[in-house]
Amino acid sequence: MTAWLLALGALLLLSLAGAMWRIWRGPQAADRMMAAQLVGTGGVGTVLLLAAATDWAMVDVALVLALLAAFAAIAFVKAQSSDGSGDPEEGPEEEVAGLSDGARRPSVRAADAG
Amino acid sequence: MTGISALGFDLILAALILGAGLFAITVRDLFGAVVFFIVYGVFVAIAWLRLGAIDVALTEAALGAGLTGVLLIGAVARLSRVTTPAGNNTSDEMRRPPAGARLASMVVAGSISGVLGWAFLSLPDSTGLRDAVADNLAVSGSANPVTAVLINFRGWDTLLESVVLLAALVGLWSLARDRDWGRRAGLRQHARPGGVMATFGRLLPPFGLLLGVYLVWAGSSYPGGAFQGGTVLAAVWLLIMMAGLMPVPRMVSVGLRAVLVAGPLVFLGIGIAGAMAGTFLGLPPTYAKPLILTIEAALTLSIAATLALLVLGTPDPSP
Repeated sequence: MTAWLLALGALLLLSLAGAMWRIWRGPQAADRMMAAQLVGTGGVGTVLLLAAATDWAMVDVALVLALLAAFAAIAFVKAQSSDGSGDPEEGPEEEVAGLSDGARRPSVRAADAG
Repeated sequence: MTGISALGFDLILAALILGAGLFAITVRDLFGAVVFFIVYGVFVAIAWLRLGAIDVALTEAALGAGLTGVLLIGAVARLSRVTTPAGNNTSDEMRRPPAGARLASMVVAGSISGVLGWAFLSLPDSTGLRDAVADNLAVSGSANPVTAVLINFRGWDTLLESVVLLAALVGLWSLARDRDWGRRAGLRQHARPGGVMATFGRLLPPFGLLLGVYLVWAGSSYPGGAFQGGTVLAAVWLLIMMAGLMPVPRMVSVGLRAVLVAGPLVFLGIGIAGAMAGTFLGLPPTYAKPLILTIEAALTLSIAATLALLVLGTPDPSP
């Protein structure tokens, strides 16, 4: 049983080599971050298999990895916003407002001409 | 059969660690280097597990793969905002330092690795202090040998480490400009109310709080402790602040400073009480367990606050 669990863990680790390739290639920062999230998830799986194979006290490490891998994604999303501390969900609204302003102006001018 | 699959696992893991380290210094994109660093932390944490060092694996997972990654992601974003004019997102690529500087850092890093490797190989074959720790574990007040060494047997080192962390924060804060002094630490955090980030900021903290407190509590008998628990709590506090649900404290806040020094002060106080009873930092076996838990609880709060403030950085220079 231990042999099987370790072999499956090795297989999981091999799949993470694919994530490494994606981090290397990119091309976008988001591609790299998603690959890091894949390594985080794969790491949680590997730790759980190791825990089953050797010592269940290792499960705590999987818990910490799961929590903090999600946190890195939050930090990335924050860093992507324009001032580095915002929320991308705020951005589009402002842009949409700006666009509709620009779109409205010609119609106002048309109304003036009319 | 077990031997073969364990060997295969270890070989693949070693290759991944070496690959992540190598790519982190050779990739041309600065953000890519940071992501390789995070991934490296995950692999190294698994390697510590393979070596049976669960406490170290917990620390590596929390700090190496977690909080340091968050710090570096923020640093890269701040760097690119400072160096590239607005609207120009093309110069994401790392500007290469001069060849002399690269060669010098290669020589320094190479010689440190060489000396460390030589020191490891020339170690005499002995069990070290393992037997001495095992013999005295019963009177240490902790069933986890790592906690027994950190808080009881070598409490002096841990006390100084907690002061070093505080000194690092003082050093960081001294980089703030005079007119920014006393403002809220870091950038002005905001998020769309009810958005994904704000929801996430409400969903995750309860689990994180539970995990952080559990790690400190479990640390007295199982792997865990103040540093691991404190790091998880720091991440939780940062998440709440980043989601805009709680204001970032002001640098002059008295309450904040009380939390920052609570750990070292409690540790030092118990140490001095021990000195009056005979030994500085000596814990009497009958009270050792409650004393260790008191020190760990105070240290956890201080470590969590200090780490979170180190990640937040100095006040935003833009008015």
